[in-house]
Amino acid sequence: MSRGNTFLSLILWFILALLVIYPLSFLIIESFKIAGTNQFGIKNYLDFFKDPYYLKTFTNTLFLGVLVLLATTLLGLPLAYILARYRLKGKTILTALILLPIVLPAYAGAFALIVFFGKQGTVNLLLLEWGLISKPINFIYGLHGLVFIQTLHLLPFIVLSLSAGFTNIDPSLEEAAEVEGARGFKRFLTITLPLCTPNYLAGAVIVFLWPFTDWLTPLIFGLIDFLPSIAYINISYHFTDMYRKYIGIVSVVVSSVICVAIFLISKRWVEKKKYTSLSKGTTLEGRIIEPGIFITILSYAYMVFIALLVLLIPTVLGLSAFSRRWVLQPFPTYWTLDNFRLIFLESPLLLKNSFVFSGVALIFGIIFGLPAAYLITRTKVRGKEALDFVITLMLAFPGIAVGVSYLLAFWEGIPLATHWIIMPLSLFVRRLPYFLRMAHASYLQLDISLEEAAEVSGANKLRTFFNISLPLLLKGVFVGVVMFFIMAFQEISTAIFLYRGGWETLPIGIYLNWHRGMEFGIAGAMAFLMIVIIFILLIIISRIGGGILGAAWGSSGGRY
Amino acid sequence: MAFIEIRKLFKKFGHVIAVNNVDLEIQKGEILTLLGPSGCGKTTTLRCIAGLEKPDAGDVIIDGQPMFSQGFIPPAKREIGMVFQNYAVWPHMRVFDNVAYGLKLQKLPTATVKEKVAEILASVDLGGLGDRYPGQLSGGQQQRVALARALVRNPKVLLLDEPLSNLDAKLREKMRFEIKSLVRRMHITTVYVTHDQAEAMVISDRIAVMDKGNIVQVGSPEEIYKRPASRFVADFIGTTNFIAGEVAEILPDKGLVYVRTEFKQKLLCRVLDSAMANLHQKVQASIRPEDIEVFQEPPKGRENIFKGTIMHRAYLGNFLYLFVHVDSTLIRAQASYNVTAKEGEEIFIFLNPEKCLILP
Repeated sequence: MSRGNTFLSLILWFILALLVIYPLSFLIIESFKIAGTNQFGIKNYLDFFKDPYYLKTFTNTLFLGVLVLLATTLLGLPLAYILARYRLKGKTILTALILLPIVLPAYAGAFALIVFFGKQGTVNLLLLEWGLISKPINFIYGLHGLVFIQTLHLLPFIVLSLSAGFTNIDPSLEEAAEVEGARGFKRFLTITLPLCTPNYLAGAVIVFLWPFTDWLTPLIFGLIDFLPSIAYINISYHFTDMYRKYIGIVSVVVSSVICVAIFLISKRWVEKKKYTSLSKGTTLEGRIIEPGIFITILSYAYMVFIALLVLLIPTVLGLSAFSRRWVLQPFPTYWTLDNFRLIFLESPLLLKNSFVFSGVALIFGIIFGLPAAYLITRTKVRGKEALDFVITLMLAFPGIAVGVSYLLAFWEGIPLATHWIIMPLSLFVRRLPYFLRMAHASYLQLDISLEEAAEVSGANKLRTFFNISLPLLLKGVFVGVVMFFIMAFQEISTAIFLYRGGWETLPIGIYLNWHRGMEFGIAGAMAFLMIVIIFILLIIISRIGGGILGAAWGSSGGRY
Repeated sequence: MAFIEIRKLFKKFGHVIAVNNVDLEIQKGEILTLLGPSGCGKTTTLRCIAGLEKPDAGDVIIDGQPMFSQGFIPPAKREIGMVFQNYAVWPHMRVFDNVAYGLKLQKLPTATVKEKVAEILASVDLGGLGDRYPGQLSGGQQQRVALARALVRNPKVLLLDEPLSNLDAKLREKMRFEIKSLVRRMHITTVYVTHDQAEAMVISDRIAVMDKGNIVQVGSPEEIYKRPASRFVADFIGTTNFIAGEVAEILPDKGLVYVRTEFKQKLLCRVLDSAMANLHQKVQASIRPEDIEVFQEPPKGRENIFKGTIMHRAYLGNFLYLFVHVDSTLIRAQASYNVTAKEGEEIFIFLNPEKCLILP
């Protein structure tokens, strides 16, 4: 064990202590404070679980998680099977479309669906115009709408994890079942599906936990009775009312505990269940079937249906971005570039902030992530498992927990929150595991003997890293970098707690403009602009390599 | 009539012909091995018998029933057992459930299933391991699970696709004999695929050697070794010396020819196929190292004695292995210890004309 590695690990631990452990412990301590006194106790928690309202938000959130998981599973299962198993032309482009929501912010999707399916939305207006209905149908306001948008947004996680499962199954396992006499659906149920469960679970956890982290989407649909949403409202709007503030913090802690606990349990379970087989000489693409004509048509219809729903988001946002006063009309009537003029000329600060904050966060990410990945994969430094554990845990922490804890921790004592650096710092911490996982994965693929050969040739560790490892890791690292940037760029749930006048980013701008109610065109234009930027970055990733699919999957832990 | 008949089987993958109009008959109760280098089409042929691959043309007839030409019979309906190269033991099921899977699909009563599984597990030495998951077993044990699963339904045909290639050398040798005696005891017609010639020799009643999608020779292990039908077979099975030359003289009544090679003297060779023996024809003579006799002094009254220099001399335990330079051709020869000549010294080798074969 070299002294350099120990030193490096100490630095990383110091950063983790300052930016993760310190603020999060602040959050927990705060949750035990009793309003109006200087005392500590579990009163807040007791109140929380005794109050029927908060209990209801808790069960609502749980219920939403179950519903969304059910919906994404039912929709995703056939989709994943089609993508993994059938040889179909144009599958790549359809796959890219279906998976697009993984990089789109959920709030952008929510806006688009309101414009299209809302009470005064395109669909209702058209139906009224054609005389098919006499008064607007409530397509989306309420739980069903929330489930709808969450399902559309989270479907890619289920599809990706399941199709990875279907692809990774050694074909001979299914062939053996065929030889043993199991055909068609029976084989699928007894062999294929059970073998996919570890993969499925990885995606299912992300989907199920989402409602515990997403406070914004329910608010957009006019719903507040969910754990993170009520926490946001209590903390942001009632911070002068100590009691509501503390109850809000308790809600954040409860959400976080649930997220972390379920995340850890599923991780344990997946690792235990992971089926290692002696696969040798199997094809990379797994078992590919030439579907019959009936199945082909059905598959295309299904894929196109989902893809169209996804396409609706950028289309609607685009329409509202290039138009003005799009109200009570199924389609815009007045076209203009005014919205963009406002964004670019009158408040370019938002764009600039977004790029600067994400960029600085990214630099932090690289400076932290590469050494961390190196320590975890390549050294035997003491405590590296714990390091990996703490970093990975950040995958599970809701953004609201990071935002609130930073707000609490970095005012007095360490007053980081008074400087704009808090914005990129919080972005960096939110996406901590991201870059690490990418670098980690690339490191694992890099044969250690390549590095050893350099050392044998006389290069020291540092030189080996720069001459051999880094150039070979570059591709994977680059994809990681861009994904990190995309996720940081659309981040809102942490930033909303920390921004001050002059630090607004594009997502915050979208939120504020929507919040004011009147400026939907500008909010739409901002969201559209963001999607365009994300899309350009995605194209860059897919050009560089790794494929859009792999890139998106690297984002499995992505939450806002 | 043969139990399995393969008729004009043809299969293409893209532009690559994997199996090229193969004809083969396999008798009831026989163990036949498809032997060849990777990519020769042996596994594809096996997978066609199983029904896991559909041929582009031709048919496989099992027990008088065509598998392809009169409507495709799926693997599930063929009453076959198969052992895969990577075993394909289902990791999410216990050993018992792996083996019982096929029986349960036949809707046999639970008691019968239990009895049959216990019986077959005992016969592959896995008694008492039924409750384990495959992940808790060694590679060799997983292999036995696969074998038990393939045999438990008492299939008409047992198909084995390189079943031993993932095992270590010691275990592999042991399993060859175990599989052979097990299959013999159960009288199951068996098709075995391997690229390992030693394995094929041990396990088979007959071997079909395949090359580039064609069967180039079918015969007992002894026939294949002693009378290879082609250069390819001679080269693939065991080790041999090839000596290129041209037919110089034919001794028609004896089935022998003189071949002019790089040696100063002409080489007397046996011709198995008289069509090979045309004057001035370019041919290859093949002789195995163990068929070469080595002498310190030239023996009297024999033909095909050549003088050479020892280039390398290796001690291999039960014999000496020599690389002998004879007039710019390198000959490998097996010799006994009484040859004391060192590297660089001269010796005499005798190429027995009966074992020096002219091959196409």
